[in-house]
Amino acid sequence: MSAQTMAHCALPGSPLEQAKSGIDACVHCGFCLPACPTYLALEDENDSPRGRLVLMRAMLEGRVAPDDADATRHLDRCLGCRACETACPSGVPYGAVLEAARETIAAHRPLPWMARAVLAVFAHEWLLRPALLLARALRESGLARLSTRLLPPRLAMPAAMLASTSRPPAEPWVPRHQHTGGTATLLSGCVMEGLFPELNRATERVLTVNGYRMHATEGQVCCGALHAHAGDADTARELAKTNIAAFEASGAEVVVMNSAGCGAMCRSYGHLLASDRRWARRAAAFSARVQDVHALLAAAGPRPTPRASDPEAVAWDAPCHLEHGQRITAPPLQVLEATGSVTARPLPASDQCCGSAGIFNLVQPEVAARVLAPKLKEIAQAGVRTVTTANPGCLMQIGGGLLLSGSQVITRHPVELLDAAYAQDPTTR
Amino acid sequence: MASLATDLSALVGPAHVITRASALLAYESDALPGYRKRPSLAVFPGTRDELIAVLRRLAQDGVPFVARGAGTGLSGGALADGAVLLGLHRLKRILAVDVAARTATVEPGVVNATLSRAVAAHGLHYAPDPSSQSACTLGGNLAENAGGPHCLKAGVTLTHMLRATVVLPEGEIVTLDRGDDGGYDLLGAFTGSEGCFGVAVDLTVRLLPDPERVITLLADFETVRAAAQATSGIIAAGILPAALELMDQATIRAVEESIYAAGYPIDAAAVLLIELDGAAAGLDADAAAVDRLVREAGARSVRSATDPAARAKLWQGRKKAFGAMGRVSPHLVVQDAVVPRTKLAQLLEEIAAIGARHRVRVCNVFHAGDGNLHPNIPYDADDPDEAGRVHAAMAEIMARCIAVGGTITGEHGVGLDKLPYMEALFTAETLDAMCTLRDVFDPRRRANPGKVVPVRACREWLGAVSARVAGAQA
Repeated sequence: MSAQTMAHCALPGSPLEQAKSGIDACVHCGFCLPACPTYLALEDENDSPRGRLVLMRAMLEGRVAPDDADATRHLDRCLGCRACETACPSGVPYGAVLEAARETIAAHRPLPWMARAVLAVFAHEWLLRPALLLARALRESGLARLSTRLLPPRLAMPAAMLASTSRPPAEPWVPRHQHTGGTATLLSGCVMEGLFPELNRATERVLTVNGYRMHATEGQVCCGALHAHAGDADTARELAKTNIAAFEASGAEVVVMNSAGCGAMCRSYGHLLASDRRWARRAAAFSARVQDVHALLAAAGPRPTPRASDPEAVAWDAPCHLEHGQRITAPPLQVLEATGSVTARPLPASDQCCGSAGIFNLVQPEVAARVLAPKLKEIAQAGVRTVTTANPGCLMQIGGGLLLSGSQVITRHPVELLDAAYAQDPTTR
Repeated sequence: MASLATDLSALVGPAHVITRASALLAYESDALPGYRKRPSLAVFPGTRDELIAVLRRLAQDGVPFVARGAGTGLSGGALADGAVLLGLHRLKRILAVDVAARTATVEPGVVNATLSRAVAAHGLHYAPDPSSQSACTLGGNLAENAGGPHCLKAGVTLTHMLRATVVLPEGEIVTLDRGDDGGYDLLGAFTGSEGCFGVAVDLTVRLLPDPERVITLLADFETVRAAAQATSGIIAAGILPAALELMDQATIRAVEESIYAAGYPIDAAAVLLIELDGAAAGLDADAAAVDRLVREAGARSVRSATDPAARAKLWQGRKKAFGAMGRVSPHLVVQDAVVPRTKLAQLLEEIAAIGARHRVRVCNVFHAGDGNLHPNIPYDADDPDEAGRVHAAMAEIMARCIAVGGTITGEHGVGLDKLPYMEALFTAETLDAMCTLRDVFDPRRRANPGKVVPVRACREWLGAVSARVAGAQA
């Protein structure tokens, strides 16, 4: 029984050591195995939560070096989807433990160049703006779509992801406002505002219809989720501080998230800055103001639109950082329920990751493709023309995968569908 | 070993053979991580043909091996001490479902709950439901003769096994059945052999029709004794519930603090979870009788649930209780003893006294209906003094269970963890007879070596080991 005893810590003072109590909570029951997309796809326990926790513990014990190429490969291959947290009876805070491990590993081994490049772009507005501008130009010119047929698979997928974000032009409309709720402001997000600006406008209109007065927040930046997940916690903390200060100045009661990944991140700023004496309280206060758009709408009703005579059947695929990261499951379906033009059903394995996972699909394209494959199969079997999900990464991963496979199915955010229904309803415009 | 690894890689693909020390760590334990044994390598065949080829290659060199499903076992049964670890989790196809005959044929790596989900649309299910059913494999269930709450009425794994195609350790392929057409019940011998007799490449199991109606009752008690007596009272009254589970206060609290909180009353000394199922006619009368019996035995309150969501919530806490104990302390010992049902009340009091004497916290959560105790002790293995007290307490508890006419395992298997108790339970002649039976299947004793029968207790074992060592050195 002395096997689990750990006399000395090989990584004293590391984030991983601080996360040790979370690792100790694991009783090795194995309930996480069937919930883990990479275990199901790769069929090796080193690519499961239980196996990865064993590796992290071994790093603390000094049995495995924090820059061991084989061990870090298995930790790199984790999506961070946190489906294991939903399955775990012992309450292992796996997402937090994983980020601590990645931060610890990053101190011993630099991140892969691709990851560093992408993270640098998202951390700096002067790089991000031109990058998104270029992306939009590639999309609008049709080059992105065209190149999916010409490029090798490794590059065809990013092109397809970009092409899938295209929307037919829609008339902007002015929602009828009746101020019954509070005041709210939107985290516009980097990818959301860069590639899905109509979706952000739709979010503002839908909240206005449901009684919220929308405020604008200047000076906000990327939420830092991509950085925290990849092990670049320092950058994540800097971005978090910029956002906290910006949203403190906005004055709105609620900070709304229409991206599941950003929402989970912003709700964890309190944890991220807990040991920073100057910021801990401000971060916790900010996190307490953060609300997912579906949860906010569900609390407000949401205001329904008249049921169409032949509503379109659509599928719902839960983003991991909504379902597992924030444990928000019913509200997106309530939003779709209020949308009279559709009837929604979750995909059978809606709780399973699509393989997007931040920048995972860019740095681990093979694994991401294997995780996506069963999702595409389920969508084909569902017999729908539209799949809804609520995270820009998931919209693009599923959308790109569908496009590459030659499918005609498109991806949309639930709020886009509700907004379109409100636009047709004379009582809301 | 290098040439063996090369050959195995050629058979199953290099991604499915593990030789690196760091990557073998994950395979050092099952769900009882107090034990760790390092395999020499791990190999994961992906098809029936690959599995057969791997076993034949191992036989060629006379290499010992240990079959492993999902590693959810609780007796250290799937630990490979220097042997080859043969992971069966990639063999996860449901090969056939015969709705009319109510049978399914599956590969050994199919997860228990996956089979029930796959046949749910036909109104069928696979009855044995170990608490790990969301993760454990049917091959592992076969090896351990796994139980579960609903085995009280439905019977344990063996009751539901019809046929298995087995690769014997020397590579021969045989079909084992229950001997219904005459001949011996060889599948009966194989079921529960803990991986010592061979490896099943497919198994055909019985499926049961879903019951017409189900009622789940939750009764709470001010003393554990009253709950135990209520258990005996229900069975004595001639009612056979589908399941009859007891959880004590320490367990209730662990569950209620976890995300699987089921709404159990945390001030109760014990709760009984009683499930009645079957034809709708008469079920309400049974429920009323159970209600009366438990109240007579001292139940403070009885709650009843009939809709699936409310029933699932009551069960959720029970099924995840073991994991929920992870919140209490970093480590956990799990025991699995069976005692005569009439001795439950007495034993539980003795267990509480033993725990108090050794200053350890015993959590009881178990299949009360068939007297299958699971005294669990959460503790901190980093504290050698506490670890010592935990093991002393467990040894005493097991000795008391044997003394009142019980046995050392109901469903978890002997594995590594219960080896020390085998000699207390069986005579040398009986242990020798077990070795003789094993030799029929595995003459070189290469399948899951060192498990079930203690090495020193088996007179022929030492001779076999020295012969093998001599052979390897030659």
